[in-house]
Amino acid sequence: MRTASHLTLLLVRRGSDTSRASLALPVVAFAVVTALALTVLGGARFFFTIEGDLAAFYQSLAALAVTLLVIPLLTLCGSAARLSARRRDQHLSTLRLLGAPTHTLTWMTVLESTLLAAAGTVVGVLGHLALAPLLGLLVFHGERLGAGNILLGAAGTVLCAVALLALAAISSLLGLRGVTVSPLGVRTRQDVPRMSLVRLVAIGAALGAGLFAGQALQIDQGVVATVAGMVFTFGLTMAVLNLVGPWLLGVVARVQVRRATGRHAAERLLAARTVLDSPKAAWRQVSGVALTSFIAVFAGVGLAVTDAMAGSGASSQEDALLLADLRTGIALTLLISFVTVAASVAVNQAADILDRRELFASLERMGMPLLGMDRARRRAVLSPLRLVSLGSALAAATLIFPLAGIALLTNPLALVTTALLLAAGIALVWLTLLATSPLLARVARES
Amino acid sequence: MNTSVLQAQSVTKTYGPTVALAGVSLQIAASEAVAVMGASGSGKTTLLHCLAGIIAPDAGAITLHAPQGALRIDTLGPEGRARVRRQHYGFVFQQGLLLPELTAVENVALPLLLDGVERRAAEAEATHWLHTLGLAGMEGRRPGQLSGGQQQRVAVARAQVGAPGVVFADEPTGALDSRTSAQVMQALLQTTTGAGRSLVVVTHDEQVAAVCHRVLHLSDGRIVREQHNTPRPTQVAS
Ligand SMILES: Nc1ncnc2c1ncn2[C@@H]1O[C@H](COP(=O)(O)OP(=O)(O)OP(=O)(O)O)[C@@H](O)[C@H]1O
Ligand SMILES: [Mg+2]
Repeated sequence: MRTASHLTLLLVRRGSDTSRASLALPVVAFAVVTALALTVLGGARFFFTIEGDLAAFYQSLAALAVTLLVIPLLTLCGSAARLSARRRDQHLSTLRLLGAPTHTLTWMTVLESTLLAAAGTVVGVLGHLALAPLLGLLVFHGERLGAGNILLGAAGTVLCAVALLALAAISSLLGLRGVTVSPLGVRTRQDVPRMSLVRLVAIGAALGAGLFAGQALQIDQGVVATVAGMVFTFGLTMAVLNLVGPWLLGVVARVQVRRATGRHAAERLLAARTVLDSPKAAWRQVSGVALTSFIAVFAGVGLAVTDAMAGSGASSQEDALLLADLRTGIALTLLISFVTVAASVAVNQAADILDRRELFASLERMGMPLLGMDRARRRAVLSPLRLVSLGSALAAATLIFPLAGIALLTNPLALVTTALLLAAGIALVWLTLLATSPLLARVARES
Repeated sequence: MNTSVLQAQSVTKTYGPTVALAGVSLQIAASEAVAVMGASGSGKTTLLHCLAGIIAPDAGAITLHAPQGALRIDTLGPEGRARVRRQHYGFVFQQGLLLPELTAVENVALPLLLDGVERRAAEAEATHWLHTLGLAGMEGRRPGQLSGGQQQRVAVARAQVGAPGVVFADEPTGALDSRTSAQVMQALLQTTTGAGRSLVVVTHDEQVAAVCHRVLHLSDGRIVREQHNTPRPTQVAS
């Protein structure tokens, strides 16, 4: 154990710029996950304190928002774990080849990823503390939320942080199996360990956490049953989407491969091939947006129609407040969901660039324009993202076609707002992609 | 055969206290294959990178006699050197370094596509080179579905599509067994000297050096010995 700790610290301390970047990435990812998870849970908890006729309604809405956000957050957590696992693979299989015993490797893996996750969690808690006053400015129920209503509290924070750390440790152990089974296997870069088991565990954990939260907050069984039902329904929808989504992205990418001609043929071809290479990976990056934008349109139309009808009749003060709250809630959920996707895109892209540093360096040596490669990389994320967000928004609009039509005629502004939110989300991801470009340039010129 | 395409005069390069190149002068003729040998750390890669315009030397002159006229590549900036590499040179590295998600033919066509050549024309050219290198029928395979030697031949094909005057190869057979290595060298010679191009190959392998016209032995950043090979290697017309 002493040897393992020493080796770990040695490997963490010694390293080039880029390997330090690959250390920083999981930390940042865990920080984002922690900050968002704490904030979302803290905010949701507030809605469970609301009293009055609409208490149950607010509670189910909060539960819905949490459900929608838990999946992208866990995906991001998985990406971070995958990233640190991939990084470790190289060290560990080398040590394994040199004859290091299994327990040394196991201990090193758990130690390193938990250290990184712990550092990220600490930063994330600070992030949560910084976000709270900002989100506290939001108006719910006619009043400002206030930072105090968003802070999760000491006990909740510790609980949540420990849960995330445990998740990091578990996924790193799962990632280690490949090394223990075959020391040579992980040397090939093509087979990145798939984390399907982690996903299963994650979905189970989400269901469990929902039920546990319900119990802990001591809501009557009626609400718990409703929430459980809702979580289950969304879990099921997500499962179906997870089957259909990758397939659809694959089909579209295949068409794009054939259509990639003309001036930007190289980047269009490369982008489509990247998606086709692993439609599942492409889907995983953007799937969080699918359900969110579906619901955003659904709810947006619903609100627009309700608004229009309320406008014609006499509407109570309470109704107006409720509508305003719903609008804020939808915008907030959509925003957090896109932020999570952006963070996960940043982590995955940076990891990809670091993984392929030799390839990019060789292309630079050949004098190939890296700009084209960079554009291809961005297109490989944005194209599925556009497809998924606009696709599910359109699907929602078609499903409630008559209502959507009415909404468009009577209250176009509400729909425009939803569209603008979607556009802003896509723009956010685009900016994130731009932010990873300097890393590509640096990696290509280094070595 | 005697017109020189590439000329280096007293080229030096230092990294901090390390003298990687201590004044190297050489000439490379059209259709000539030159092997560079020497102990590890003797400056082979550094020399190749200077000749290829990947790095700029500290002092000395490097002149490329391109069809458009003579070009002093040591005086060019990074952009200019990148253009020279793209337009006049081809490269083969130790590992193929192909894009894993593209097929063989797409990998070979990539330099042309990035240069704005129409997809169909680019892939036709790529297919031609794959066929020349004995890879007919493997156009649609990804690098992961090819053996090391086949991947390396795809890389050789990729080095040819821009019709370069000089092809540079840094230990192109370093990761291959001797039989596969001989095949890849054969492919390299056939597509370079066999087609009027020059080849500069850094190698540790005597057998690879033996099939080149000339062998330069490097030690501590200097050419210490030059060896002319006879009989000349068989030139395969393409
Ligand atoms: N980027 C660099 N920074 C510092 N020193 C360098 C750099 N590149 C090369 N060197 C040094 O320059 C000398 C020559 O290196 P070079 O890579 O040319 O050797 P080589 O002959 O190709 O060796 P090998 O056969 O091992 O590939 C070595 O002493 C090396 O350590
Ligand atoms: Mg070398």
